[in-house]
Amino acid sequence: MTSNTLLQVENMGITFGGLKAVQGVNMVLQQGELVGLIGPNGAGKTTSFNMLTGVYKPTEGNITFDGNLLNGKQPYQVTRSGISRTFQNIRLFKDLSVLDNVKVANHSLAKHTILSSIFRLPTHFSGEAKMEQESLAFLKIFGLDKYKDELAKNLPYGMQRRLEIARALAAKPKLLLLDEPAAGMNPQETQDLMELIAFIRKEFGLTILLIEHDMNLVMGICERIYVLDHGQLIAEGTPLEIRNNPKVIEAYLGEEVVD
Amino acid sequence: MKKSKIFWGYLVLALVIYGVGQALISMNVIDLYYQNMLITMCINLMLAVSLHLVIGITGQFSIGHAGFLAVGAYVSAIVTMKLGMPFIVAILAGAIVAMLAGLLVGIPTLRLKGDYLAIATLGFAEIIRIVILNIDYVGGAAGMQVSHMTTWTYAFFTALITVIVISNFTKSRHGRACISIREDEIASDAMGINTTYYKVAAFAIGAFFAGVAGAIFAHNTYIIQPASFGFLKSFDILIFVVLGGLGSLSGSVISAILLTFVSAYLANFPETRMIIYSLVLILVMLYRPTGLMGTKEITDLFKSKKKGGMTHDE
Repeated sequence: MTSNTLLQVENMGITFGGLKAVQGVNMVLQQGELVGLIGPNGAGKTTSFNMLTGVYKPTEGNITFDGNLLNGKQPYQVTRSGISRTFQNIRLFKDLSVLDNVKVANHSLAKHTILSSIFRLPTHFSGEAKMEQESLAFLKIFGLDKYKDELAKNLPYGMQRRLEIARALAAKPKLLLLDEPAAGMNPQETQDLMELIAFIRKEFGLTILLIEHDMNLVMGICERIYVLDHGQLIAEGTPLEIRNNPKVIEAYLGEEVVD
Repeated sequence: MKKSKIFWGYLVLALVIYGVGQALISMNVIDLYYQNMLITMCINLMLAVSLHLVIGITGQFSIGHAGFLAVGAYVSAIVTMKLGMPFIVAILAGAIVAMLAGLLVGIPTLRLKGDYLAIATLGFAEIIRIVILNIDYVGGAAGMQVSHMTTWTYAFFTALITVIVISNFTKSRHGRACISIREDEIASDAMGINTTYYKVAAFAIGAFFAGVAGAIFAHNTYIIQPASFGFLKSFDILIFVVLGGLGSLSGSVISAILLTFVSAYLANFPETRMIIYSLVLILVMLYRPTGLMGTKEITDLFKSKKKGGMTHDE
């Protein structure tokens, strides 16, 4: 493992009952990379994300992040160690305001205790002020600051996607996992999203791993791509290599008919 | 600091209500019957607000709140009657033991969700009741005699403290963490919130104030019996919270006061009392399916009036 490696996944796999959903996945992410994870429906992409974030416990293999073993950690511990994510089906806190959504992710920024909040001690006010300031700064970057008091559920779809990314960033990740960020977006919105991803990557010095079905987006911005099929990695390489890889074509389009 | 101005405004309003109540009582304008109703209102308010924190804010469907009420009532009664300590010590002791009971129940059961948690908490409350029923030291089924020590002052200020503490908790990073669990536990976890910690914390704080309510209740009734803490009592408290609107503190307060009043008034018609009470509940739920206040607070109503309703700017 070189000093630049941020995430190393070795032989990761999970079994649900008798079903081997994902097996033998090896993955290495270097600091600052933008890597794509693609594959047909049901290939195990989201399951892999869930293992990386601690939602599922891998039944085999090791996940090393930033020099620490992540196996068996709770999701909130994984997040605090620096991996943050968005969800395939948007999971915002619908009845909280846009600002409060980001504040929840900013939770660990302030340190005031429950008692300090109950008795309204000075640490409560300074902590809350710091969270407010920081959260507003995030909203501004994403152009959401004018909606800060709106309930999250009232935002238009594209804005909700943006808010989810803003919220994930507020948790101060080193590695950002994006699960189909462009799902349901029109071409213009997808274009904006690509620019946004490139921007936040530079601005926050992030490493990004993204799952996406939109091949224009994946081929356009990813430096490297992993391809999953039936729970196994079938290919790895640059977008050009992946585009011409016969195994990948087979997984997506089926076998060539030989007569 | 506009927010603190609003807080002081409410505090002054609360003190005025207290002052009026106290003046009426000391001038004998309202008799013992109404005095007792006022105190019952405070007790129900505490129960409603403390359960609101667990169900309305954190979204954990607990229906064993009467168990904590019983713990608070019996522990405080033991402290005053058997140990001869002052009432204020008894209130604190009842609350702390109830909170410990809350931790004891919360840590194993809060990993359950929805219906399963409801059944587990219900079972816990029944266990408490049956344990008390079988302890002769506290009188068993016959009950335990308790001197009348609760006054309007005790009832009012404990209720006021309950509301302030729970409102302060809710409007902080801790409260937001609890609400995020209610909204989406998986996302909340993924944002770095220790969900187990906050569920147990909300449960323990709720139990603490149910314990306070128990102490006030025990010293208001001359005798406490295990039968007063059955699951019907838990449902009464649940009704306050649901009727007020899940997630609305002011809703819980309003519905606790309103339903105490309705139920006391209906005592004049013993035959039809429960029928009318049920009808009131059904009507409210038909016309306000999200409860009296929905998830809104009284303060929101003033705000939206000033702004002239919600404005969408796209």
